[in-house]
Amino acid sequence: MATCTPLNCKHDDCIHLATIDVAKGICHLTKKTVLIDTPICPKFAPLKKCGNCKNFQKDKTDSNLGVCAAEKHLPWTYPDLIAQSCAMYQAG
Amino acid sequence: MPKKLAQILEEKGLSLNQEYGKRASNEVTDREIKRSPTPRGQNLKDLYLSTLSSTTVDFTYWYTRKWNELDGEVMVVRRATALKHAFSNLTPVIYPGELLVMAKERYYRGSFPMPWLSEGYFLAKTSDLYKAALDSGGASADEVSHFGSGGGNVTKSVGNVVSIAGKFGIRNTEISALSQLANEWVGRSVDDLGHKYERMVPEYPLKEQLMRSVICMFDSGYTLPQGREVSNYYFPLQYGIGGLIKMARERRGEVAGESGGDGLIGMDRLYYYEAAGLVLEGIQAWIRNYAKEAWRLAGCEKEPAQKREYEEIAECLEWISENPPRTFREAMQLTYAVHLAVINEDCISGYSIGRLGQILYPYYEQDLEAGRITREKVLELLECYRVKFTCIDSFASAGVVGGVLSGNTFNNLIIGGLNKKGESAANELEILILEASMNCVTSQPTISVLYDEKLPEGFLLKATECTKTGTGYPAWMNNRVGMEYLIKQFSQEGMTLEEARALAIGGCLETTPGCWHELTLNGRKYWIPGGCAQTAGSGVHFISNPKVLECVLFNGYDHRAKAQVFKPHNKNLETFEEVVEVWRDYYAQAVAVVNKCANIEHDIWRKHNMAVFNSVLKPDCLIKGQHVGNLGYRYNGTFIVESCGTANFINSLAAMKKVLYDDKKFTIEDLQKAVLDNFGFKTAEEVGSYSLAAQEKRSEKDDYDELYSALLMAPKYGNDDPYADDILKDYEEWFCDMATKYLSLYGLNLSASQISVSSHGPLGAVTLASPDGRLAGTTYADASMSAYPGTDRNGPYALFNSATCWNHSDSQNSQMNLKIHPSAIMGAEGVRKLLDLTRAYMRRGGFHIQYNIVDSQVLKLAQAKPEDYRDLLIRVAGFTQYWVEISKPIQDEVIARTEYEATA
Repeated sequence: MATCTPLNCKHDDCIHLATIDVAKGICHLTKKTVLIDTPICPKFAPLKKCGNCKNFQKDKTDSNLGVCAAEKHLPWTYPDLIAQSCAMYQAG
Repeated sequence: MPKKLAQILEEKGLSLNQEYGKRASNEVTDREIKRSPTPRGQNLKDLYLSTLSSTTVDFTYWYTRKWNELDGEVMVVRRATALKHAFSNLTPVIYPGELLVMAKERYYRGSFPMPWLSEGYFLAKTSDLYKAALDSGGASADEVSHFGSGGGNVTKSVGNVVSIAGKFGIRNTEISALSQLANEWVGRSVDDLGHKYERMVPEYPLKEQLMRSVICMFDSGYTLPQGREVSNYYFPLQYGIGGLIKMARERRGEVAGESGGDGLIGMDRLYYYEAAGLVLEGIQAWIRNYAKEAWRLAGCEKEPAQKREYEEIAECLEWISENPPRTFREAMQLTYAVHLAVINEDCISGYSIGRLGQILYPYYEQDLEAGRITREKVLELLECYRVKFTCIDSFASAGVVGGVLSGNTFNNLIIGGLNKKGESAANELEILILEASMNCVTSQPTISVLYDEKLPEGFLLKATECTKTGTGYPAWMNNRVGMEYLIKQFSQEGMTLEEARALAIGGCLETTPGCWHELTLNGRKYWIPGGCAQTAGSGVHFISNPKVLECVLFNGYDHRAKAQVFKPHNKNLETFEEVVEVWRDYYAQAVAVVNKCANIEHDIWRKHNMAVFNSVLKPDCLIKGQHVGNLGYRYNGTFIVESCGTANFINSLAAMKKVLYDDKKFTIEDLQKAVLDNFGFKTAEEVGSYSLAAQEKRSEKDDYDELYSALLMAPKYGNDDPYADDILKDYEEWFCDMATKYLSLYGLNLSASQISVSSHGPLGAVTLASPDGRLAGTTYADASMSAYPGTDRNGPYALFNSATCWNHSDSQNSQMNLKIHPSAIMGAEGVRKLLDLTRAYMRRGGFHIQYNIVDSQVLKLAQAKPEDYRDLLIRVAGFTQYWVEISKPIQDEVIARTEYEATA
């Protein structure tokens, strides 16, 4: 997955979604159940994920892996990892 | 046209009549009691029923990342730091309408893999998982929402969701991370390290063969190393998480550099207290992250009532993240958070809640007195509690989750029993727990009554009414038999009569020690029970009694696996006694080697993956300053030898004794030939049913019919017939004694355990036909004291007499399932009849009984159209599970169970 943009973001990239399971969630704004893999709405607000962090470096061969440059030893990570509690997160 | 077995037997004047009593009406009879939850409870339950079992690698990743950074650190501190990091980074998700919050992961029914225990499955499936991730990505959004049958199980990959083991769904974008994580644990997991060292056991080739032949169901140490034990919530309730952190830091200072006179592990106390403080900090951060999320939602929420609810959730979480709870709601939320924390730190199934009604009673009583709560609000909270526990999933190995556990997590809530002084412990809160369980019918928590003659009649009738709803709970356990077992097994560790009264049930049916603590709330003192023992469901798992007998018949050889399992005995089996002697020898060989290997696996576990948070909760770790692996718990002699297939085994011995050795109608060679040929029948797999009645002959030939009839007509267990029951008695006396001859890694003797969970399905699937007339591949009788379907012909009391021909307190447990047609227990009189039935079994010395109250026709309809029966619950063996999430062999077995249309 490339870094989330308005063109490819999903509902589970949005802070307003309470994910129920791997297919769907409840939107806190509308209180409706939405399928994750359907188009997002104008009220989309990005959830902090490794994939949208400035410190994230994409893997050259696998778009679902990357490296965290916030740490000196450059641990691997993955773009979909939620970083809401990560002290080193910087919006990309 | 080849005939079905049922037809053949009818023609011979025999019947696989699986009904006892008057014939039930042909009309489908539904369960009588149907109640509804509150609107909130219904909404949350509906949400669960539409939720898919979902997994993510977030916790897995954070744990592994921190673990890798701490190479060289003292192991318990390394583990605690990794846990702290993972807990602190869990994503909090709160759903509208919830009152109780928090979850294992960021899904409503979420879980995560623990490759540090075992990574082999993911590595083996890597290419399949990658392929599924790539193939399915193009499906439309609509397709994503329609998965196959199986309730919440993700049975196949669709859209951007990949199915793992036909149960868990994971987003395809996480497959690369899953693979990376699995690879990082190669050679370092408990499984890998355990395997490296268990191969040094000289008899290891036998163990390997036992696993390949599925004579032993699964390995203990890396699949479910904890669980089948009872929680202890006392310390967080009494001191609060902040108080416990402070305690850990103070004790750390007191013991630093001091051996305390113990030259072996005295110095470990420093590392234990450091680790305790770290993991508590992680859990505190996790709760506080949920509080922050609740405040955030309150800030965004426009609807005033929902806004206020989020604020109350935030206030509750903030308080309990530091302090002892003040109210019933705070106490309930804290115990739920604690429970989740334990089952997140290890792969655990069967972590029992224990006696919740007695533990939370102080808060309930004082809240009512102060007007802070009403009974209606308590009922609503208890419904929320039920749904939250039902949401708990366990990500263990596929063969364990599907094959043994049927996806269940066995969170057992115990009611009844005695208090510290030996009086009835039942209380009003337990009545409300029963009411909520009838209103909001879900699979968890399951409920068990510790039946005692001192319990009030009204309480027992209410519990029976709940059983009558048909959900299978509460199950009924004999308190005095359980206490007697505890005193026998645990006197060597200081068990007293007073402490034996604190007993509870770990997992579905593991009798386990408890202890008493004095809780102080607003100056008033209450003695509350809690667990203080190790897992009571680890050691030697599910040795298949009928399969070992099969090996005896064929000189140690397994024809299905085409392998020599045991060394050939080379005996002619000329007498019944010789058969029994060889069987016992083979069985003991199996137990001996599996025990040695399990000891090594558990030893690796306690050195590399020890319980840290559970070692804070369970007495006496905080006092001793030692974690579970260093005998920190009060009671450690809990490991077991577990059997499966008892009824089929006993019936087989009885049939052989009668037909081959007493009547001498046929020879052992005749039997061997017939078994290999499945008595001329097709296999269960060919027929597509695992139920005996559905089996079909291969052809019109009747080569084995006479032998087969003789075997079927031989005396069977469950009919109060000493011919079969004496064999059972003899076996039980040997089995219960044999188990105690083996020592666990903790240097304490094992004891016998006799439950099947769902293992009777997969173990039956790999067993040839057995001498009792069971056909190849069909499921064994469930439990241990249940009769084989259709063979108990003399009513329930005859069954009870058979079952209680031996002393149940010699074993950790025994297990009995009865299926009763709803028409047999209609109305208030029906409740009374059901209680009388239960009481009769308890008074004869039976340890456990549980009921399915259901018309078999309903089950057949549910099998044909599962989509119409999403919320149908039935009792398997020690647990209640959604019908649609149970495997077909077990479904067939439950349908086949004798249905009692009369209770006398």
